[in-house]
Amino acid sequence: MHINPFRDLIHDPMALSGLSMLALIGFMAIFAPVLSDYSPYDYTGQIFSPPSAHHPLGTDSMGQDIWSRLLYGARTSLFVAFAVAILSSALSLFIGATSALLGGIYERFWMRIVDAMISIPSIIVMILVAAYLRPSILLLIILMSLFSWPGGARIVRSQVLSLKERMHVSAARTFGADWKHVLVNHITPDLAPIIIAMMIQDARRAVFMEAGLAFLGVSDPMMVSWGKMMQQALAFTYLNVWEWWLVPTGLALSLTLVGLSFLGFGLEAAMDPRLQKYKHRRAD
Amino acid sequence: MKREQFGRGSIPNYFIALAAIFALNFILPRLMPGDPLHAIYGDEALVAMTPEMEKALIREFALDRSWIDQLQAYIIGLLHGDLGYSYYYKDQVSSVILGALPWTLLLTGLALVIATALGIILGIESGYRRGEPLDRCIVASLMFLSGFPDFFIGILLLLLFGVALGIAPLSGAITPYAGLDGFEYLKDVIGHLALPLSSLVLVQLGGIYLLTRNTIVSLMGESFILTAKAKGCSEFSIKYSHAGRNSLLPVTTATGLRIPHLLTGALFIEIIFSYPGVGSILNTALNARDYPLIQGILLLITVAVMTANLIVDLLYSRLDPRVRYAH
Repeated sequence: MHINPFRDLIHDPMALSGLSMLALIGFMAIFAPVLSDYSPYDYTGQIFSPPSAHHPLGTDSMGQDIWSRLLYGARTSLFVAFAVAILSSALSLFIGATSALLGGIYERFWMRIVDAMISIPSIIVMILVAAYLRPSILLLIILMSLFSWPGGARIVRSQVLSLKERMHVSAARTFGADWKHVLVNHITPDLAPIIIAMMIQDARRAVFMEAGLAFLGVSDPMMVSWGKMMQQALAFTYLNVWEWWLVPTGLALSLTLVGLSFLGFGLEAAMDPRLQKYKHRRAD
Repeated sequence: MKREQFGRGSIPNYFIALAAIFALNFILPRLMPGDPLHAIYGDEALVAMTPEMEKALIREFALDRSWIDQLQAYIIGLLHGDLGYSYYYKDQVSSVILGALPWTLLLTGLALVIATALGIILGIESGYRRGEPLDRCIVASLMFLSGFPDFFIGILLLLLFGVALGIAPLSGAITPYAGLDGFEYLKDVIGHLALPLSSLVLVQLGGIYLLTRNTIVSLMGESFILTAKAKGCSEFSIKYSHAGRNSLLPVTTATGLRIPHLLTGALFIEIIFSYPGVGSILNTALNARDYPLIQGILLLITVAVMTANLIVDLLYSRLDPRVRYAH
């Protein structure tokens, strides 16, 4: 039974609205140099200038152009989201699938690690690690991926366990295919919808975590980040600068997160209901 | 017999995870480049430190001996409930945390109760009216809301009610030096609590509501609902005594599993409203690089979250007899 949830996805209003929100943020990230004349790091010569023709959102307390920081912040968020989604789901796929196929002590070892790691509140441990390491963007991506693969690995394992009993896998095995061939050519294609759903959840969590850590001031201070901008802007709520500094930044971050949630909701609804039972497990 | 198996699976996992967390807390400062005492206490603390204090600390952490002795010293310290000394607050870490804990417990406890109650009632009403305009409206708005990051909801409420309208206090938990008592004091506490509490409830509401609604929608097709309708039960009784009661089980489990989210949400919300709980202290500690305090707070939250998860895991099989028989 092959269902194609991606076909249903384009008819789902929720997934469509999610996709269009993400497309808007993606557009901002890709065309950042075209949409703004200033570098996000440059001092423009004036602090707290209100919105004008030169600075659509004015300048901040460091005299930097807020509009261009907003655009380049989209780059940071989306880059972190993509990288963590790919790295983390690759880990989930590899460990989940090999556990299911090889079994034995290897499987028990990894599933024990998965069970233990799932009970650890990842964002709190991330704050601790970040407080010591002040991670750069690459280290941040690696750390977040290391914390977010276990949930996915458990789902992949249970899927592969049922997929490997299917007829077409047995057929391939009788023709002499080894497990590597079966994994790449027969099992991975059937896992695609689940892996996409996993990647969306990982991406959403990564965007939130990156912004959250920057908001707490424990990531690399040189990184252009929406969380960092919100932390800086929150100190100036007694001036009216929040109207063009704090609110647009928060809205951009919310738009990204809501877009990813809606896409995830839409995909989950279009997909087979077996995934439903894992939903509440991953709500940390 | 089988039920024990369910519990046995989660208790070892709990201890493995706990050991990993303690190991991380022990190793992380010692991995940092330079003198471990600097890494454990932070550079800022050592400026104010005399050579005698430094010697005493080196002896306490056994830093001049092998790492096995250091580990032993660390474990013995933890068993005594000694989380170290906060140079910023000039007090024991444990007493700094204990001083802030009541405010956090007040905030998170009330938020959990209100969000759960409100989420269940909205979920039942909306699931019963599935497909009607009211249902669609609540689903759309709460799904939208649940996508928002916790700290931005807090910021929006702060800007709207605190800054723009000026009807709520901007920060703190009580009006300082007001010398209020009795009813006036209570009113003051509630006034300061209102915004942080509403933000936290709004963040938590979506998940509980959506789960209750989905459960109710699937329950409405069951035959016991048809029976209840046929024998002439009132609408209220069908909604709450029949469907509502049966939806409680998944909602209880999900509520337990939301505790990590609730606590991290509270950290951010407290920072935004400068609410004097554990989150605000964490923020101060992060800014001052007061490492013993950072470690102590995060260790406490991690252990609290994991214990809550373990309890939910163990309770789950007792709450639902089907889980016991299914194993």
